[in-house]
Amino acid sequence: MVDLARKNLLHDKLRFVITISGVAFAVTLVLVQIGLFLGLLDNATITIEKIPADLWVTSKNTPNVDFAHTFPDSRLQRVRSVPGVELADNLIVQFMNVSLPTGAEESCVVYALEDYRRWGFPWNVVQGDVGDLKRGPYVFLDQSANKRFGAFNVNDYREFRGHRLKIIGTSKDARSFTTTPIAFVDFKLAQELSADLTNRTSYILVKLAPGANLEAVRAEIRRRLPFNDVYTRQEWASRSRNYWITNTGLGLNMFITVFLGCLVGVVVVAQTLYTSTMEHLKEFGTVKAIGGGNSAIYGILTRQATISALVGFVFGAIPSYLVGTLITKADLKLIIPPSLWTGVFVGTVAMCLAASLLSFRKVASIDPALVFRT
Amino acid sequence: MPVVQARQIRKSFKEGRGEVSVLNGVSLSLDSGEVTALEGPSGSGKTTLLSILGCILTPSSGELVIDGVSVDAKKPNGLPGLRRRSIGFVFQQFNLFPALSALENVEYALNIKGLRGAQARREAQLALEKVGLSDRLGFLPRDLSGGQKQRVAIARAVGGGPKVLLADEPTANLDSQTGLQVLELFRKLAKEENRALLIVTHDPKVRTISDRVVRIQDGRLLN
Repeated sequence: MVDLARKNLLHDKLRFVITISGVAFAVTLVLVQIGLFLGLLDNATITIEKIPADLWVTSKNTPNVDFAHTFPDSRLQRVRSVPGVELADNLIVQFMNVSLPTGAEESCVVYALEDYRRWGFPWNVVQGDVGDLKRGPYVFLDQSANKRFGAFNVNDYREFRGHRLKIIGTSKDARSFTTTPIAFVDFKLAQELSADLTNRTSYILVKLAPGANLEAVRAEIRRRLPFNDVYTRQEWASRSRNYWITNTGLGLNMFITVFLGCLVGVVVVAQTLYTSTMEHLKEFGTVKAIGGGNSAIYGILTRQATISALVGFVFGAIPSYLVGTLITKADLKLIIPPSLWTGVFVGTVAMCLAASLLSFRKVASIDPALVFRT
Repeated sequence: MPVVQARQIRKSFKEGRGEVSVLNGVSLSLDSGEVTALEGPSGSGKTTLLSILGCILTPSSGELVIDGVSVDAKKPNGLPGLRRRSIGFVFQQFNLFPALSALENVEYALNIKGLRGAQARREAQLALEKVGLSDRLGFLPRDLSGGQKQRVAIARAVGGGPKVLLADEPTANLDSQTGLQVLELFRKLAKEENRALLIVTHDPKVRTISDRVVRIQDGRLLN
């Protein structure tokens, strides 16, 4: 079958380029915006995802992992004695000020555990041995701190709340939603750094024994610690993410951007397809005159919309992929999972088909007698 | 045996609050293998009659039988099928698809008529050979002369073997010499393949190739 739809589309190259540009722009905008959004959310919960704890015990109504409230660290014993608990440890997460060699002060999120090796945390150690943290006033810094703290090396010193700590190692990929750098110190040292933390902890991490019933263990911890909340890892990550989405307007912001991206795409495609339809009215009239029904013309428009969607998607996906690789150099994260590629692809086709509806209405009313008009 | 029979065809169009009557009881028969010229001044109803005979418009009243099928004005959904099977059009402006080559223009019309793939391509090539364009198959309309374009349009009209050929001012955009060649070709194809050919025209040359000349004025046939 002669592909009139494709040939017509490619015949007017400039119009085709404009259509494709509109679709590609919308695709890039949506992919990059959602990808950045997912990257930010990934930062918000990456520490939760990477610590292999089945349950997190938090103080009541803690909104997200960074904004912890403390509670007595002695509650750990009550958790450790719950049947089905294989491992439980205190974890402090606390914002602290760090004095830099320049005289400036920067904020830092300090994670403090008694035994880092036991939890495989941080999960991506670049230099040093986390086991050494308990040996003195030492600190591990994530490499991403370079941006805020300036260049640093192992064996350098930084001042945390007036205490000089020696950098004995570095990690990679440990981020917070607020982009505040993450540092790792020994649990006891963290309590010494801040008077507020004396005999206090932010969380209790719980790992279940093999075969233990998660709900039964959780119920027992809740019974023993009625003034705490207990979340599974997924629940806690979800709660942390939702906080940033709903409380910062980030979700609305992303929705508006994605909506505008789609709107631009629909308007550009609808406009170019409609203009093209108007210019080809006589041809469509000829199709009708030689015996083609409305369905034949709808088929042409649908195919043109689908081709525009496919080519536009490819030309939108390539820059999105490139942006993803470039953006990591700016210390940002762009996450485009396969489900997002698929969703945006389906959305692009739907968007282009929706945009062609305007033309459908026009061709439905074409009078084939127009073929006789000069 | 007439392949087109029109009896007491009337057609009026709404214009503002009133109605304008364009055809006032036209009766016309076209026989197989007969070439008929339809002449008349502008506004006489030539194109409206052509549109009705081509099943593009439906009559307000009257009876129309094309290739043995009675046209029911109340069921316009059946008209595209009748056009596909029985009618071939040639237009004054050629109305070729500019993005398609000569071969594809003919092949696409055959696709619409239900032929697919290699069969459609073969038939399209044959139709273009008949009009003497076998060396221009891959040419786009913009690369063809006016006469060549009209010959592609004729090949498109005869492709699929319709019993009725309707032409609207086919020589209006051609020079005298080319116009005559196109008309002779048209007549040859109609005669050889026993098709009824109606040519709406202002061009006196058409008389020279026609078996019959019919005049229309104010929506009525004069002879």
